[in-house]
Amino acid sequence: MSTEPILEAAGLTVRFAGTEDGETVAVDDFSLIIRPGEFVGIMGEPGCGKSTAAIALMGLVRPPGEISGGSVQFLGQDLLAMNDDEIAAIRGKDIGLIVQNPRTSLHPMLTVGNQISRVYRAHNKVSKKEAWQHAISMLRMVGMNDPERRVKAHAHELSSGMTQRVLIAMAMSSKPRLLIADEPTSGLDVTIQAQFLDQMWQTANETGSAVLLVTQDLGIVANYCDRVLIMAEGRIIEEAPVQQFFQAPEQDYSRRILTTQRQEGGDTSGEAHHGELSDAETIIRVAGLYKQFPIRGSDQKVHAVDDVSFDIRHGEAIGLVGESGSGKTTVGRCLVRLEEPTAGEIMFHDTALGAIKRSAFVPYRKAIQIVFQDPFDSMNPRWTVEKVLTEPLDLHTDMSPQEKRTRVAELLEMVGLDAALRNDQPRQLSAGQQQRVVIARAIATNPEFIVLDEPTSALSPETRVEIIQLLMELSRKLGFAYLFISHDLTTVKVICHRVIVMYLGQIVEVGDKDAVFAEPRHPYSKALLASHLFPDIADRRVDHTERITLEGEIPSPVSLPKGCYLYGRCPSQKDACADMAQELRAMPDGREIRCWRVTEGDFAGAED
Amino acid sequence: MTIAESAPPRRRFARLDRFSGKKYLIFGGTIVALSIFLAAFGAAISPYDPMEATGDISVPPPPIEDWPRLFYLAVAGELEQPPHWFGTDQSGLDVFSRVISAPRADMSIALGGALISLFLGTFLGLIAGFYRNWATELMMRVSDVLQAFPVFITAMILVALAGRETGNLVLALALVYTPIFIRLTRSEVMGQSARGYVQAAWAVGNNGFKIAVKHVLPNSLVPSLVQLSVTVGFAIILTAGLSFVGAGVRPPTPEWGIMISIGAQQLILGEWWPSIFPGLAITITVFGYAIVGHAIEQKFREA
Repeated sequence: MSTEPILEAAGLTVRFAGTEDGETVAVDDFSLIIRPGEFVGIMGEPGCGKSTAAIALMGLVRPPGEISGGSVQFLGQDLLAMNDDEIAAIRGKDIGLIVQNPRTSLHPMLTVGNQISRVYRAHNKVSKKEAWQHAISMLRMVGMNDPERRVKAHAHELSSGMTQRVLIAMAMSSKPRLLIADEPTSGLDVTIQAQFLDQMWQTANETGSAVLLVTQDLGIVANYCDRVLIMAEGRIIEEAPVQQFFQAPEQDYSRRILTTQRQEGGDTSGEAHHGELSDAETIIRVAGLYKQFPIRGSDQKVHAVDDVSFDIRHGEAIGLVGESGSGKTTVGRCLVRLEEPTAGEIMFHDTALGAIKRSAFVPYRKAIQIVFQDPFDSMNPRWTVEKVLTEPLDLHTDMSPQEKRTRVAELLEMVGLDAALRNDQPRQLSAGQQQRVVIARAIATNPEFIVLDEPTSALSPETRVEIIQLLMELSRKLGFAYLFISHDLTTVKVICHRVIVMYLGQIVEVGDKDAVFAEPRHPYSKALLASHLFPDIADRRVDHTERITLEGEIPSPVSLPKGCYLYGRCPSQKDACADMAQELRAMPDGREIRCWRVTEGDFAGAED
Repeated sequence: MTIAESAPPRRRFARLDRFSGKKYLIFGGTIVALSIFLAAFGAAISPYDPMEATGDISVPPPPIEDWPRLFYLAVAGELEQPPHWFGTDQSGLDVFSRVISAPRADMSIALGGALISLFLGTFLGLIAGFYRNWATELMMRVSDVLQAFPVFITAMILVALAGRETGNLVLALALVYTPIFIRLTRSEVMGQSARGYVQAAWAVGNNGFKIAVKHVLPNSLVPSLVQLSVTVGFAIILTAGLSFVGAGVRPPTPEWGIMISIGAQQLILGEWWPSIFPGLAITITVFGYAIVGHAIEQKFREA
């Protein structure tokens, strides 16, 4: 590998003038050297200037910003001194860009093949036909199945994972020397994220490109990057090789994000009363839950939840994990009766909730609460915090106005908010504060059970950790049980006692958290765990020669497969799986698994 | 850099827009306030009885340069009788007195019709958006049919059937404008019902009625309020239009449409003043209401 740098930025400064609070220096004295074949990560909190810095390296700035100083040498030429034509010849050819939100980055009216070949033709003198062929081969290279057909698709016909691949194909089409990827996987499922990053890593290795990856996720940095830059308030505060960074970070800020995101030392609360749990009373028993949604103008149905059964004991924390479309959110919504189950029974203590009328269910809402994913959206935008928190008290208690005020103050204190915020409206609060208010509303009536529907996925990593700590503290203090729905396995690993893995509406594996994380048995759980990027440099994904991954994406829940639902994606499938419906079977050690090869001992661990 | 320099200075435009938005609001608000003030007191403060012949027929208005002097003399009480600012019409009625007395008829009908349709439409739209069943679907189809007829024709037929009483005019207007508010509110209610805070309101334990009234309705009102001021403007034109074709209030009630209708016959003789002044009054009033609607929309969109 040559050590001649591809890109050398020195003292790059970006200012935003003319905003209301005067001039802002978004990127201050940014210096960076990228050598061929390197994977460099830029990390930092939202708004620290990492994206601005990354695109400024191509000489681009969002108005009204401007690059006010510094230089960017790209292969010995000064990018910032070039005129528009010269720089346009480099962008898209020698420097590729992959941005967030793939769907809005593609032209909705053009086929993806057309878009890729246009980019290619802009920089290479080839015929339309050759460019089209090249587009197909690029799609094949990024792991798109059936590229001859996909090349004629429009953006809306592709899933988000596939549109993201189209963007890499486009960015890579002219074999750029440098690829800049700005949070390319935010909003993708872990399985798709792993597929995507593997693909990017592999493609970059094949073409000898360097990659600059902007991210907030320590897991991505740990697993893929060679070097990492930490930014705060527009400045690079730390730059280190990834091994060194994880072992001995220099800055306080770096240490803080490392400890919080890895949750070192914070993981004891769950264990404390774990032993007593097995004797604890079962408060919720779900048996044979089905939920189907009719499709308008069709006899077909979406099978969102398909024969789901589980128990929740008093004070227990259960994690419900799976890809998007696995039906985990629908299960949560059925539990709080925001959806009426198609079939099956939900018992709360000794009451069959399905048998009582919707209006008679209202008193139970005191005991069964839910926290949603998007905190801002879950509060009436015209109400104050006080009004939001008083609502459950109005509905379920006969407190006097004075008692309610006291209770609201108490709730705010419990979730760590200043009582002065009670008169604010949701939009005046930060996302973390909003989620705290929503949690305060959920615990206002001292519920026994709370559904937490991805409560942290709309938050930045640091706020996420704060909210997780708050939830653990509250459940310890108040003793409520919860169902934690998430695709963030790092979090589930920290706060849950038991884990339920769902795939396509079915439970595929149930077990104690430690057991499932240490030794997942169902092929889907294995793949899901393997796809998850734990921020752990000892076991980097790129160091594995063989990476367990699921091929393709979750099938449509409209026409369900005949046999095993995982057939076609499973890395260890046999022909018999194709038409053999799977049942959830209990194992001697208390685990439940839906895979005949595991339950009948056919796996024998040989293929792990 | 080049990119930054060639980029449009968007923020400056935004500021300019905000500034003029406020100026607009003051201008429009003044017109709206004036229209309501004249509806209440126009007849009381008019210099002449708007229903009686008080001068020679077809007197042109005094030249504009004489107005300050005339105004001074009128205030000082040195004139035997107040000047006919806008002249008189072919029957000798004072045009100025009639123009400022007309809002009583025009505004009460237009405002009454628009407000009734707002309340009715919001109420029905809330029901239609919140409870989706065959009854509300039927209601939507009926309102579709009602909306399919040209507003003017529908109103004319309704008045012809019910009689030219003020009350009937208000009801006719209310009926033709209600479907707009039903549709607007319904679509907004449907959008809001899918929002997380409505889901959360169910989960907290509200019943359907409370959710509809406390959560969904307050968050669904803005489009209707914007539409209200536009509708008032249209309703003024419709009221005047109905009188113009003889299906509105009866002469000699002071009313802009009637005045234009009567004055229009004289236009060919060069007597522009009996019709132009009420025409201007309508234009300015409609414009004022439209601006207020625009300002409301902007204010709530920013918030």
